[in-house]
Amino acid sequence: MKHKSAKAARLRNNIIVHTVLAILAFVWVFPVLWVIMTSFRGEKGSYISTFFPETYTLDNYIKLFTDTTVLNFPKMFMNTLIIAIFSCLLSAFYVLSAAYCLSRMKFRMRKPYMNMAMVLGLFPGFMSMVAVYFILKAVGLSEGSLIRVALILCYSGGAALGFQISKGFFDTIPYSIDEAALIDGCTRWQIFTRITLPLSKPIVIYTVLTAFIGPWVDFIFAKVICRANADQYTVAIGLWRMLEKEYIDNWYTSFAAGAVLISIPIAILFLKLQKYYVDGMTGAVKG
Amino acid sequence: MQKRRIPKWTAVLLALAMLAALLCGCSGSDGTESVRLMVWSPSEDQSKDSGEWLQTCCERFAELHPEWDITFVYGVADEATAAGTVSQDAEASADVFMFANDTITTLTDAGALVKFGGIYADEIRATNSEALVDSLTLDGELYGVPFTTNTWYMYYDKSVFSEEDVKSLDAMLEKGVVSFPFTNSWYLPAFYLGNGCTLFGDGTQEELGVDFGGENAVEVTNYLVDLYSNPNFVVDADGSGIAGLRDGSINAMFTGSWDSASIQEILGDNMGVAALPTYTLNGEEKQMYAYAGSKAIGVNTESEYMEQAVALAVYLGSAEAQALHYELRNVVPCNTELLEDESIMSDPVVMAQNDTFDRTSILQPFVSQMSNCWTPVENMGKSIRNGDTTHDNAEAQTQAMNDAMNSDGIS
Repeated sequence: MKHKSAKAARLRNNIIVHTVLAILAFVWVFPVLWVIMTSFRGEKGSYISTFFPETYTLDNYIKLFTDTTVLNFPKMFMNTLIIAIFSCLLSAFYVLSAAYCLSRMKFRMRKPYMNMAMVLGLFPGFMSMVAVYFILKAVGLSEGSLIRVALILCYSGGAALGFQISKGFFDTIPYSIDEAALIDGCTRWQIFTRITLPLSKPIVIYTVLTAFIGPWVDFIFAKVICRANADQYTVAIGLWRMLEKEYIDNWYTSFAAGAVLISIPIAILFLKLQKYYVDGMTGAVKG
Repeated sequence: MQKRRIPKWTAVLLALAMLAALLCGCSGSDGTESVRLMVWSPSEDQSKDSGEWLQTCCERFAELHPEWDITFVYGVADEATAAGTVSQDAEASADVFMFANDTITTLTDAGALVKFGGIYADEIRATNSEALVDSLTLDGELYGVPFTTNTWYMYYDKSVFSEEDVKSLDAMLEKGVVSFPFTNSWYLPAFYLGNGCTLFGDGTQEELGVDFGGENAVEVTNYLVDLYSNPNFVVDADGSGIAGLRDGSINAMFTGSWDSASIQEILGDNMGVAALPTYTLNGEEKQMYAYAGSKAIGVNTESEYMEQAVALAVYLGSAEAQALHYELRNVVPCNTELLEDESIMSDPVVMAQNDTFDRTSILQPFVSQMSNCWTPVENMGKSIRNGDTTHDNAEAQTQAMNDAMNSDGIS
């Protein structure tokens, strides 16, 4: 009798827990699902009275890549991809180098630097937006295709301040490995590239991923720096423009299509590197 | 004199400077001056699909002025956002750009907008209506070349409403479903302005403040409460108006020229366009008044080639350029000569827009206090929709709106 009621209680708990989880999962997945549905919607316009689209079509995607005279989405996509690739390489290098130095070398500015990075990190990045713009202009990077260089610098320049997670990871690698390598005649650079990095794949992947996502989701820096240079727009500005009052009726469904498309490169990277990502966040070392 | 004291190298330097000036080509030997003009416009004006209006006009302008060897650099900035971009950094902005007149103070505050004077001002005044010139005049100075009016009016389904019906909102509500952007403060004041409420006196007298309170405003609020509960009235928000027109659930809506192509596609021959109707308040017909403004071509004070930039701006706003703009992109012209042209005046959108501008609109004030006027009106629309404002508290709510519009505080 008692045994049975315990079983019933567990069943009841399971039902409650799973119902709650199912509701939460639905709430979480629903907006994504809705954007995907909208991207295939046949009816035009930003407002529909039915929950599911009445007709489905691929035209929204086709329009995005063929109707390029007003809003050139393929060009914006390529711009962003190029910027993302370069800034992710650069900032991964910056972050890992800074983290390695701070983890392995004991120098006088180490503590002050870490404090400064901590304090600077408390301020939102866009506070420096106007100053950054005028510096880039003074250097001559605010016009033409040099804007891409400017944006790459923007997205990667401050990366070395975000070393904390990587440094934490490097700290878990035993120092004795480094010492053994030193005795064998390795230089610091060799230790970094031959020993520390191979042992830290998860955190390298994590750094690369976050740096790659940056340019896809940033709006304000791109807006401030691109200004009227429409051929240098990134997808974030392009998608925003599609929602302006002149375009929204014609472009709304294509906007959703664009949103789905930019999630593809990020999603591919993420799926490929997922198992490292989880390791990176938990900070485990298999050495 | 101290001639001897000038060292030799200054002469060399001078010679070099002159050589450099020659090499720069600031003045070529054939008498043409090389000029580099940066021009910003919305991207449709430069798109191949709509005929590259800007490029065509700029090339024509260059042909008209053989004495200048002009290199054009094009950039994309639409009228609504150009002011923000230009005032961010005028030095690195276009010489000639287009802006909406409600952003004029942003530009003048940044000192980025050239005043037109002399023959140019005379020409602009001669070819545009007074109201239009007023929309670009600040403290007696003219700041732009207008090329179109900017306001909203009514689109309706001719198979539902007759031309007589569309003169009165209440007559329309009896015959079909009308949608209005009730929660948008660019539209909602139309009712208040219709019953004697005023903004800053004649629109420029900032010290007079806003008069959206008092008995007449309360009457309007009461009317709006009834209007909202009318089953034939639908609030237009987030594009629901045009969607309703598309599926047939709505027969009339209020918007501007930017939606006219979409509405033409939906309604076809049944598309009717008209100036704002009247509404019946306590048995009296009251005219609704839209906010109106203009879009204009401005010249940057930082321009290196001021003469050429001003001439180009005037050309881009000329009858010829406006006619082409209308032909390629249906941009409603405002030049008084063109408005006598029958082929243009037979277009219902042009007629409705100009009729609205002339008859059923007020110039949208651009005094800086105006920025306090948007949120309170929007909140009034929303509170009626949510049922927070009813006949019982209409007076208090209207007074609260008026107070908020007259206050600098965030409320």
